[in-house]
Amino acid sequence: MHPESLVLLILALCGFGVFLSLILPDRFNRTVLALIGMLEAAAMLMAGAGLLLRGMSFHLSLWQFPTLGTLSIEGDALSGVFLSVTAIVLFAASLYATGQIKKYLGRYSIRRLAIYLHLLTASIVLILTAADALLFLLSWETMSILSYLLVNYEYEKKETPKAGLHMLAMSEVGTMAVAIAFLLLAKGGGGFEFSAMKATSAALSPAVRWTTFLLVFFGFGVKAGLFPVNSWLPRAYGVAPNVFTAILAGITLNLGIYGIIRLFPGLMPMNTPWPGLLMLITGSISAILGILYATKENNLKVLLAHSSIENAGIVIAAWGAGLVFLAQGHRIIAGMAFITSLYHMANHSLYKGLLFLGAGSVESGSGELDLDRLGGLIRRMPWTALFFLAGSLSIAALPPFNGFVSEWLTLQTLLQAPAINSLEIKVAFALCGAVLALTAGLAVTCFVKAFSMAFLGTARSGRARKAAEVPFTMRAPMGVLAFLCLLMGILPTYVIPTLDRAVSPMVHESVTQALVPPFFTPKETHEKLPENFIADFHDLGAQVGKDVLPGRGLVVLHRGGKKNPVVFAMSTSYTLAVLLLLLAGTYLAAKALSTGRVVRKRTAWDGGLRRLFSRMTYTATGFSNPVRVIFEAVFHPTETEDVKGESVVRHFRTAIIRERRETHIVERIFLVPVVSAMRSLSTLFARMHRGRVNLYAGYVLMCLVLALIFIKTLEILQ
Amino acid sequence: MTKWILKGLATGIKTTAYPSVPETAPGVSPGRPGTTYFADKDMELIKHCPAKALFGKAGSVRVDYRRCIHCFQCTRTEGYPSIDWEDGFEWASLAGYPERDQVSITPLGRPFSRSVHIRIVDAGACGACMSEIAQLGKPYYNFHRLGLFVTPTPRKADILLAVGPLTDHMRLALQKTYEAMPSPRRVVAVGTCALSGGPFGPSFISGAGIHETIPVDFSVPGCPPPPLAVLHGLLLAAGRAEPVPLKSRDSARDNPGKEVR
Amino acid sequence: MRYHEQISRFKKWQKDPASSGIDGLSINFDQDIPALCLKCPADRILEVASILQEGRPVFASLVVEEDGGDWNLGYFFYGDSNEGLIRLGTSVPKNRPQLSSLSHLLHAVDWHEREVEDLFGLVFEGHPGLGDFVLHEEWPEGINPMKQGFDALTPYPHREVSPRWRPVSLVRARGAFMMPIGPVYSDYAESAHFLLETVGEDVIRTIVRLFYKYRGVEKIAQTRTVSEALLLSERFTGTSAFAHSLAFCQAIERLWKCKVPDRAVALRTFMAEIERFRHHVAAVAAIAASTGLGVATSQAAIMEEELLRLSCRLTGHRYLFGLNLPGGLSLDISDPDLRGAVREAREVLQRFQDLRRLLTYTSSFLDRIEQVGTVSRECARTTGLVGPVARASGIVKDIRKVLPYALYKDLEFACPNEKEGDGYARLRILFDECKESVKILDSIAGRLPGGPVRTKQMEPRPGAAMGWVEAPIGAAFHWVRTGKDGRIERYRISPPSFLNWHGFHLAAERFAFQDFPIILATFGLSVAESDR
Repeated sequence: MHPESLVLLILALCGFGVFLSLILPDRFNRTVLALIGMLEAAAMLMAGAGLLLRGMSFHLSLWQFPTLGTLSIEGDALSGVFLSVTAIVLFAASLYATGQIKKYLGRYSIRRLAIYLHLLTASIVLILTAADALLFLLSWETMSILSYLLVNYEYEKKETPKAGLHMLAMSEVGTMAVAIAFLLLAKGGGGFEFSAMKATSAALSPAVRWTTFLLVFFGFGVKAGLFPVNSWLPRAYGVAPNVFTAILAGITLNLGIYGIIRLFPGLMPMNTPWPGLLMLITGSISAILGILYATKENNLKVLLAHSSIENAGIVIAAWGAGLVFLAQGHRIIAGMAFITSLYHMANHSLYKGLLFLGAGSVESGSGELDLDRLGGLIRRMPWTALFFLAGSLSIAALPPFNGFVSEWLTLQTLLQAPAINSLEIKVAFALCGAVLALTAGLAVTCFVKAFSMAFLGTARSGRARKAAEVPFTMRAPMGVLAFLCLLMGILPTYVIPTLDRAVSPMVHESVTQALVPPFFTPKETHEKLPENFIADFHDLGAQVGKDVLPGRGLVVLHRGGKKNPVVFAMSTSYTLAVLLLLLAGTYLAAKALSTGRVVRKRTAWDGGLRRLFSRMTYTATGFSNPVRVIFEAVFHPTETEDVKGESVVRHFRTAIIRERRETHIVERIFLVPVVSAMRSLSTLFARMHRGRVNLYAGYVLMCLVLALIFIKTLEILQ
Repeated sequence: MTKWILKGLATGIKTTAYPSVPETAPGVSPGRPGTTYFADKDMELIKHCPAKALFGKAGSVRVDYRRCIHCFQCTRTEGYPSIDWEDGFEWASLAGYPERDQVSITPLGRPFSRSVHIRIVDAGACGACMSEIAQLGKPYYNFHRLGLFVTPTPRKADILLAVGPLTDHMRLALQKTYEAMPSPRRVVAVGTCALSGGPFGPSFISGAGIHETIPVDFSVPGCPPPPLAVLHGLLLAAGRAEPVPLKSRDSARDNPGKEVR
Repeated sequence: MRYHEQISRFKKWQKDPASSGIDGLSINFDQDIPALCLKCPADRILEVASILQEGRPVFASLVVEEDGGDWNLGYFFYGDSNEGLIRLGTSVPKNRPQLSSLSHLLHAVDWHEREVEDLFGLVFEGHPGLGDFVLHEEWPEGINPMKQGFDALTPYPHREVSPRWRPVSLVRARGAFMMPIGPVYSDYAESAHFLLETVGEDVIRTIVRLFYKYRGVEKIAQTRTVSEALLLSERFTGTSAFAHSLAFCQAIERLWKCKVPDRAVALRTFMAEIERFRHHVAAVAAIAASTGLGVATSQAAIMEEELLRLSCRLTGHRYLFGLNLPGGLSLDISDPDLRGAVREAREVLQRFQDLRRLLTYTSSFLDRIEQVGTVSRECARTTGLVGPVARASGIVKDIRKVLPYALYKDLEFACPNEKEGDGYARLRILFDECKESVKILDSIAGRLPGGPVRTKQMEPRPGAAMGWVEAPIGAAFHWVRTGKDGRIERYRISPPSFLNWHGFHLAAERFAFQDFPIILATFGLSVAESDR
């Protein structure tokens, strides 16, 4: 089927889903939602694959909007990338929903949830395929409101409405900013069609270009969770229903990224490196702050939310680096950066979807999300533990999982900074590279904490002790995502050329040749490579698999010049092979050593205590405390200590109570001052209201005079 | 830093050469009473032993070292001749409990002849035994030269060195330590308290020695046994020394007789 | 108000009981103990205690005795000048064993009250921390072994521990947890259990759980003969055996009105100082070891072993066991031997001072012990710390000065003290005290009287007396009551370690985990001495 008709099919399916939800009784809705959702996802995946792999594209006018133009949809490879990723996460989430939303039955209306989700799917598809600003903004707004409604789904919970409103307010501000930016672009002459905007944007003045850039970047940044417009994100993720959190992190966050990268460089090519640099720096700050707060956080869902900020930061940083390279004319490296960025975006959707589903399973299984009160779940929920471990390894960027590939490529791309001819930018690249490396390190700490505190050790609460494994319908989607994480990790040589199809139109160059050279692909010739280069590689043994594998080789490498033929190289597939060999070897050695011997199993040595109490094991707070101490300046806590004593000399202590309060740095620096300024302003206004009639008459008179003066001045000026 | 190195060098070697050369420095051991032949009227001395360690046999006063606490009453009680006092410190023996078949007690053997790891458990000791054991790790005795090491975890220990009469509150800890040890393992009970409860046990809160809870393989009597006696016990457990009996020796002119207490 | 003013006020009230204004308060001086005894009804004890507290007395011991249908309680105090002991006494009927807790007024009483509650079943009203203490969780509540009629010598069948039992924890903070240490830990450590409460890096509070080594010495001493009890007084803590047996012997001698020959008194003082010297050298070795200073540890250990050998050559025993007897010593030491010993001690001290100099110039060592485990003067006072630890916090109280015994009244020696109260101050105190000890050895050897070392003139006499010494760790008080047949009826030991462990948590608060062994070593406490 052609992607064009598939998109229409998805929209029809969404409509059908809404219709079914309306007429069916609530108890069937769960299954119907899952089935239709999976169908939608399948269609979306086919559409995405068609656009991406088979190089198809389409343009379709939907409706002539009076006075404003035509609403039309369009599909290209970039849409294809996002549609495919969205489809996979949507598929997993829909399947997961059958089991997960059972608990809502009778408490909240599942019909409502189903309608919202179908409409959300439709709006997402329209956003990803919109060919004009009008349709884009309309679907964007629909998506924002539906997201709010979904976050607010469990409205009976205490914190939900507040978090929901916070999210709605922020995303409306973002939408507004984006709308203004589109107006500015449209003012350039071409109207609301993206193609027209693209044609005229080059002629805009630098001031307008900068304004547009800033408005778009921070407007879409709200959805993508970028610093400093992300304060809504951890809260909303924390209270959203588990199915939807996966969609929030795996799909809607990508929409923000999509908005940014669709416009830059696609719609509005940049000729200075500075906007790219701004993106790189903002991305890096988002990343480091995100992971710092994630490491510190103890609520599993909120921890994952902070980590989403981190990952969005990395994606944006890589894209920004690409823009800088592009502006400097290094098209190949720019293409690498763009591929890296898209790769990481896709990876993040997969593993974050997986981890949020895992967190949802932990909550379903134990009723607890606080890491300080979890522990030892691996014995009660082995499958969830296994999949969560896969997700943790992926997000912590450990080979052979997918996170490693994209983070490694990100850092390698940043290391290409010497190609840039401006010292300031080189320094900025170096600093951002260091920050991102630190982020990667902290991510390991963070997810060692997340996994070990939830699944290892002893249970720290009664709920954790009584936890039970989730049903198959909830385990299967996690398994699918975990498998994809591994696949994306070991087959980068197949993923990169695919993504290259989306990137090459932007940089007007194919990067595949530079990253996955043809001589690793047996079907192609070696003509393009110098002799000594091939000889070098032969020695390294990197040609292994040349004749064995049908498709591409398994080594990612960046081809350099004559002097330094290989800039970097790696192969996760070989790493996996070596890893498996080592594991098998270790297992066999252990087996061989222990045969014929009596193996006694004893509990851990406890120093001769009566028994080890769960209070005697490290808590999540304790584990991340060194990070909290080192980055005290960021967290800026206010600590109180209250000693309960019963004596005048206070030597009899019956309790020492410590409390620690923290305000997120973004709220502390940006939100709190704004709110307090607004407050004092309103107090000022309130002071004017003294309740005396003649006073109000005076105000009216004053306003009149001021208005007259203003109009007069305008007249004189003209 | 240099100052410390020079200081160390200037001090020279203090370490004893035992077991290759006998140690004869005065004060390394308090010594202990030995078999003494007394006239019948002086056999009353047995009654003066507050630890009930003395017994008579075939016209001589003998000592049960599992009970002797070095109180010196048998040498310093006026009106009685002094009991023979024997020097030396090679006191360690196989555990002498009827419930333990002595033949089944074997030292650790060849694989442990160069490296033995020891876990010490204080089961209610007064501190003197612990202090003497701690001396082993210090320059004058330095048992590391013989391949003996103290380990903080019983998981790596070959020998359990237990001191003290085994108080009720330490019973579980001792048991857990013993169970945590991998086999082959040996238990060496050090000091009179660990062998018989000493002046403290048996009582409402402490037992009559370590053997009540875990099987003891080797005993080092003494109150406290001097460092070299403990070292003798460790070498015995490692199969590098010969045991001596837990009761004072017979001599050639002994008749087999009945023990009188 | 100073302690001596307090004493003279009480003496005034003794003559005119009505002037005190407290009903039922009777004051008399007991020659046997010897102490100024204040006796009041149980319901007035808080009132009397608050008057007593004005003189800032130092708590010595709480002695509980069974007297027919009553519990007799005696709180013993001493002051900063040579004015003797005060005994604050009261009695409560056995069928209603309740009494106001004094530990709010005199915080040093805290652990003594907990111990009495556990062993005697006396309830101290208003004490927040009663419960499992000496007897751990496996011991059934309501069975109190120190009561008469409880059989000391048969093993007691214990109940199972409730699965709901949890160790006490004080810190309530998000993510707070406990790091358990012990009871079996470290290489040569005595058995004790520490719970370090923390939220990660810094330890907020340390909870000490002792009495893993409780051997019930006080209980099993009852109905034993004096010579048997002497073995217990010597062997409950081997590293300061001589000091404790001396306290026991002094109590017996005081009670049985026995005049110890001068030579024995001098030799006892001599041996007590040898023991103090050896103990402090060993403590310095432990401190050096806790900071990982290998050479210094070895140096101090060499000196410790040399002093042990010296003791063995002089007395036949490395830890001076079997030397003290009621009425003197079991062995005479010849004057040349003694002079030789002094020479040797001086030589060891010389090297010990060299070691001090080296340590003082090792900045990495000072970094680790300075401002570590600091105890303020006020805290040390209220918690009732004694010995070198208290002297390092600026409390100049040495039993040898304030309640002189043996030869100390006639000896010239200084009582070193420091103000900082940190680990380094405690180390300096140890070094200074060693210097004073050798000075004492020197002056005794110079004027040793002749004559016998033991007297036989001892007539068992029913009654009770207190014996005290400044043991190496601090003030030790031994209360002995004998019956008509000369057997022990009640033996109460108040060891200095028990008082100091009570204040240990003050030093082990808000510190980095890796400093814990150092704090432990600079306190230099004995578990065996505390657990008894």
